[in-house]
Amino acid sequence: MRQAYREFRRAPARIITSVLALALALGAMGVFAIPAVASSSLRETVGRDRMADLVLSTTDTGTTDVVAIAESIDGVEGVRAEVAVAVGTGPVRTGAALLPLVGRDLDDHDVDVISATSGRLPSAANEVLVADGVAEVGETIEVTTSDQRRRALVVVGVGGTSFWAGEQVGFTTIATARALGGVDGANRLAIRVTDHSPDALRSMSDQLRLRLADEGVMLTNLPVAVPNGTHPIEDDITQVSTLIGFLGIVAGLVALVLLGSTTNTLITERTREAAVMRALGAQARPLRRRLRRLAVVIAAAAAVIGLPLGILVSNVIARMVMQEFLDVTPGFAVSVRVLAISAVFAIVGAALVASGAARRVTRIPLATALRDRDGSPFGRRWSERVVARGRLGGLLDRAAVRNAVHRRSRSVAVVAQVTAAVAALLVIASLATTVNAFNASEYEPWSWGSRTTVAGTGLDIDPGTIAGLVEDQRVEPAIETIGEFDGWEIDVIGLEPGTHMIERTVDRGMWLPAGEDHANDAVVSTGFADRVGVDVGDDIAVRLATGTTTYHVVGLHPLRGRTVFVDVGTLADDLGRPGSANVIFTSDDQAPAGLAGLTTTVRLDDFASDDRGRSAILLIFGAIGLVVVAVAGLAVASSLAVNVYERRHEFAAVRAIGGRSGQVMRIVTVELLPLATVGVVAGVGLGHLGGRAIMESFERADAVDIGFVFATGAIPAVAATVVAGCLVIGGLTVRKVSRRSVAATLRSAS
Amino acid sequence: MELITAPPPPVSAPAVAPTPLIGATDLTRRWGKGVTAQLGIDRIDLAIERAELVAIVGPSGSGKSTLGAILAGIDRPTAGSVVVDGTRIDRLTDDGLARWRGRNVGIVFQDFHLLPTLDARENVELALKLADGSMSRRERRRRSLDALDAVGLAAKAKRLPTQLSGGEQQRVAVARAVVNQPTLVVADEPTGSLDQESGAVVFDLLAALATSGTTVVIITHDRHLAVRADRVVSMLDGRVVPTEAV
Repeated sequence: MRQAYREFRRAPARIITSVLALALALGAMGVFAIPAVASSSLRETVGRDRMADLVLSTTDTGTTDVVAIAESIDGVEGVRAEVAVAVGTGPVRTGAALLPLVGRDLDDHDVDVISATSGRLPSAANEVLVADGVAEVGETIEVTTSDQRRRALVVVGVGGTSFWAGEQVGFTTIATARALGGVDGANRLAIRVTDHSPDALRSMSDQLRLRLADEGVMLTNLPVAVPNGTHPIEDDITQVSTLIGFLGIVAGLVALVLLGSTTNTLITERTREAAVMRALGAQARPLRRRLRRLAVVIAAAAAVIGLPLGILVSNVIARMVMQEFLDVTPGFAVSVRVLAISAVFAIVGAALVASGAARRVTRIPLATALRDRDGSPFGRRWSERVVARGRLGGLLDRAAVRNAVHRRSRSVAVVAQVTAAVAALLVIASLATTVNAFNASEYEPWSWGSRTTVAGTGLDIDPGTIAGLVEDQRVEPAIETIGEFDGWEIDVIGLEPGTHMIERTVDRGMWLPAGEDHANDAVVSTGFADRVGVDVGDDIAVRLATGTTTYHVVGLHPLRGRTVFVDVGTLADDLGRPGSANVIFTSDDQAPAGLAGLTTTVRLDDFASDDRGRSAILLIFGAIGLVVVAVAGLAVASSLAVNVYERRHEFAAVRAIGGRSGQVMRIVTVELLPLATVGVVAGVGLGHLGGRAIMESFERADAVDIGFVFATGAIPAVAATVVAGCLVIGGLTVRKVSRRSVAATLRSAS
Repeated sequence: MELITAPPPPVSAPAVAPTPLIGATDLTRRWGKGVTAQLGIDRIDLAIERAELVAIVGPSGSGKSTLGAILAGIDRPTAGSVVVDGTRIDRLTDDGLARWRGRNVGIVFQDFHLLPTLDARENVELALKLADGSMSRRERRRRSLDALDAVGLAAKAKRLPTQLSGGEQQRVAVARAVVNQPTLVVADEPTGSLDQESGAVVFDLLAALATSGTTVVIITHDRHLAVRADRVVSMLDGRVVPTEAV
């Protein structure tokens, strides 16, 4: 410790910069802990709030006692019947036209505990508790009832349940929901079971489906199963973790380079000191041990600061992720594994790098080491001799370029750090452009102007209603439901074969043909089909809410996503009718008249909704990217500061023979610019590869075509920012070094 | 090239001939403040004539290097004034002082302070480049080779500093100091790192400069060399003292 203190006294600013940069790099590695922190917080919430293990959406249960039916099945621990409706709202803060409302027994805390973070739970008709961001306590929400009358709901509280976390949703009494949705009984069952394994939940949902069907109650969507105490959104968090992991790797690489260059510098600058000790009789091995110990102490000091910083970084970002996606404020969590790995990385890494550097230092011929100030005279290596013969550029330019070759590990470190910063920035920018392009492409084939949906979860648009609309050429009925194929959750969309609401041009095969013989034909989105090995002519078994149905694939459609198109009439049959549709499309943005209780959105609403989601994602990854860029920036600053500090005598000599500060700055600039340029070029390449790799991993994980759009337009801005940043850092360090008088600087060299 | 050439008439020099080249008045240099303050030189008055070869001598810590650094313009006095060739150099800005140094002063250091990544010729050429950016590359190259020739190192012009001996490096430093034909050369312990023979060669080079009209200030603790100067200034504890007092 005494040795470390002496070293600190020798160059406190430089040691502090190194320790802080290293600490921040270790702190940035804390992003690796985000998934673990988020996951443990989610699971804690699931247990605490007694979240439902199985949620079933059904047709209106009417007077059937579905709770009793469900409770009669072995393994069911608790059941609550609810009414879920989607209501059209007036102008609320979210700007969304649809608001899901859940009517439930608000005093029941056996399944899905509901709580208010402000205000209170609803206790009377027309009172509502809303998720954070929908409205404030005391405000009134105007909604449209099933008989097309407007009704005012008074917001009495803000809060919700874990299951609905992150959704823009409202909770009200069961009577109010029934009145709003025109439901007589219930249409949603929240169930807790004793066995949470995926197989048991699947078996349980099949039993429930059959028992309910016996009573004439059909499932309207695939059951939502939450196995093993997980949270439904954990899959999304896992995907987000892939990107976080990539940025963590970038942060780790920066940390590695920084650790290497800092440790190398600490050891190399002691070459002459080590040589003096060798000349006095010190043996190489204890000398190397001493140098190694110094590096380890510095790394340990960095770990002491960096690890708490990492805990802070991971918790702050995990909190952002969970608040943005779930509206959940998680508790404080620590990933011991990531902490331990970071600490071992810092200390073992420092020891390993120090060993190599110490070996080099103690192997330099004694006479050379004693003569040369930094222990590494220019001209010893062949690369230095080659570059010394070069006569291109001015004298200051040559000195700069030769120095970059001379201090090659420093140069490599600067290049690596710039590369990391540029790559991180471009990955973030490419994420934005890709998400934008993907969102646009999701809408591209569609040509509907308005989309009117039902209030409940079933096929609530009856054939009579549709018959009254078919005269209107703008109107088409459709069904949107969720299915499952080959383990993937898919969108199953029922359309008329001659639909005008989507571009019918296909990549392979043909669009849905009309006619009885083709009732079971299906068209699958190309990207999904390619990823699950489906082609034209194959039969696919799709699991729907009402059971498994086989369709024959006749075409592959360019729509992104996991989508299967089938005939709307066939799908209505497969879902058990009696209704015929749950969506009415129009070709313009005017909804048809006479759709009681249904809610219309236009394309603009959907775009706005997507924008909000994208902003949240970009906010989070922007924050993580900033951490990485800050680490890389500090690392570059640290490397440059050490570089300029080491060469202060050289710069002082230049000033002594007439060099002005601008000329000294020129040496630094000329040395830095090529390195920054190489870093920018490498960063662009790495950013492209990294962004593409992330998107491909998402595509594999989701079996969809996302399509990677590289943020080429951001390159000039990123390059200019990085180069300007380097120059500013270089200028500041030169200015600092130049403040000392030439004589004093040169005297300290003697 | 003839190493020893008369300097061009200084633009700002007064017309009256007897005016000394250097006039230092009440020169004080101290570092730090309060009780921890360290005194380098203390209220020194000094005048040095044109073409004079002056040796400043004194024991370690006497302030001779500090005085030399202030006269060369690489340090600033805490108090007092320095006028060199009519220019009050203690009032110049940092960049102004650098420009002044490049055009008017040649400095030779004990540790040479050559740029390690430039070869001998490039090190000499750098002084020309910094002093006069408008000079053609060809002209710079010719003059630096001439300067190296004058110190006997033309054959080693392409050697890097690490490929030269200590004496050779110091001769390169002398060539760099004189290549701009300065009015003043300040050499701080120029023979301190050299053997006797190399030291004598370097001293002879400096002495020849004075003969040709350049003012030369040599800081040394070597009394055998000092006695060869036109005048010896002795220092002790930051003050100029009679020579016999040292």
